[in-house]
Amino acid sequence: MADRVDTRYWRFCAWMGPLFVAVFFVCWGLLGHNFPPFAPDAPASEVATYFRTHANGVRLGMVIAMSFAPAYGVWGYAVAKVLEQVIEKDNILVQLARVGAAWTTITILVPTSFWLTAAFRPEALPDWMIQMLYDMAWLLIDLAYAVTSVQLFALGVGFLADRRAVPLVPKWLAWYGIWVGFMFAVECIMPYFFSGAFARSGILNFWIEFLIWMVWVPVLTGYTLKAIGRIEREQANGA
Amino acid sequence: MPDTALAPAPAMGIASAGGRDNRVLPSVAAMPGDSGVWVFIFADMCAFAVFFALFAAGRIAQPALYEASRRQLDLALGLTNTLVLLTSGAFMAQAARSARAGNARATLRCLAATLGVGSLFGVSKTIEWSAKLNHGIGLTTNEFFTYYFVFTGIHFLHFVIGLGVLAVLIARVRADERAGDTLAAGRGRDTLRWIEAGGAYWHMVDLLWIVLFAMLYLMRGA
Repeated sequence: MADRVDTRYWRFCAWMGPLFVAVFFVCWGLLGHNFPPFAPDAPASEVATYFRTHANGVRLGMVIAMSFAPAYGVWGYAVAKVLEQVIEKDNILVQLARVGAAWTTITILVPTSFWLTAAFRPEALPDWMIQMLYDMAWLLIDLAYAVTSVQLFALGVGFLADRRAVPLVPKWLAWYGIWVGFMFAVECIMPYFFSGAFARSGILNFWIEFLIWMVWVPVLTGYTLKAIGRIEREQANGA
Repeated sequence: MPDTALAPAPAMGIASAGGRDNRVLPSVAAMPGDSGVWVFIFADMCAFAVFFALFAAGRIAQPALYEASRRQLDLALGLTNTLVLLTSGAFMAQAARSARAGNARATLRCLAATLGVGSLFGVSKTIEWSAKLNHGIGLTTNEFFTYYFVFTGIHFLHFVIGLGVLAVLIARVRADERAGDTLAAGRGRDTLRWIEAGGAYWHMVDLLWIVLFAMLYLMRGA
């Protein structure tokens, strides 16, 4: 914790978070017709028609989304480096924050490959099969919430342990992250609903759940960048 | 955001060493407990505000269905749950007062009472849910019961987390006592901060239930 650290690439890695959110929103969200998604009660023909008529757009969106998925993990590692300045780097919370970010990358990569599969040769697939791939991707990306919660909890609890008069990451943000981790649990009821607030396209299980996470990433990035500056100044003053 | 919770203790009202001093210390922070925990509470209240708005909109759209469904709820069990949580909340408030007065023994007793009485809510809720499921009423029966099971389920998750927090607080006060720490200084002062934070959370669980009780069990429709 008190050791000098080399912060050379930290800022670059930290910027990967907002970059990921922006790319994911455009490519996975808009090009892939996932922001908002088709409602579960939408007819299979509607989903299939979109994939057939927009196959190239969906392919492009998913290929770029898959290429940028590791950016989330890179960002998570940058935030974990800052956490090392709050608690010892061997602390299990630092390890959990890292693996939470890495696992989240996997849970983005795998479902995007399902959407890409649906767009690969949609004219040869029956409607129900395209719908099934679309459903499968959504069930995985939503129900894999718990791996991201691991990262959210580890970072939240870790940053709460900051004993500085002005913490590197404010406590309100640490608590906000913990809250987001708990709120993700609401995804558990998503498979029971085809319409309404709790469906994958509903106000709760889509709009609120995705937005509170997508807000957390850039806000935490802002404080991470500020923290990197502080760490560098503290090291310079101590030299 | 400067953390006032870590500021030096105010030089007043500290329980005298060896003697019993029932004067109540001011909160350790401008807001009781850890300043950041209020963000968690505020965010949670916002989420529940969305839930309540959803329910209100559904009720306006289908008043007859909501009223018929409401009549199938067990008002006596709902009222029992409310009284249980209010009683538990009163013990929690007394635990925080005792902690601020530096009385570790009384704090422990009140925290244990909060946990013990609060646990009855879990028993009562389990009985109520089981009865509904046995009557063939479940998550997807209709929109009212979807909201009923989801909202009370999410509230129950908060309640279970609250029980865990209470258990941790009891363990921590006991550990401080064994180590000879008071609730007025050092690690004990941190414990006081967490008792206040845990208390704020527990009262939120109370408050949300009261709103749920009124909304689900009491409000008459068409």
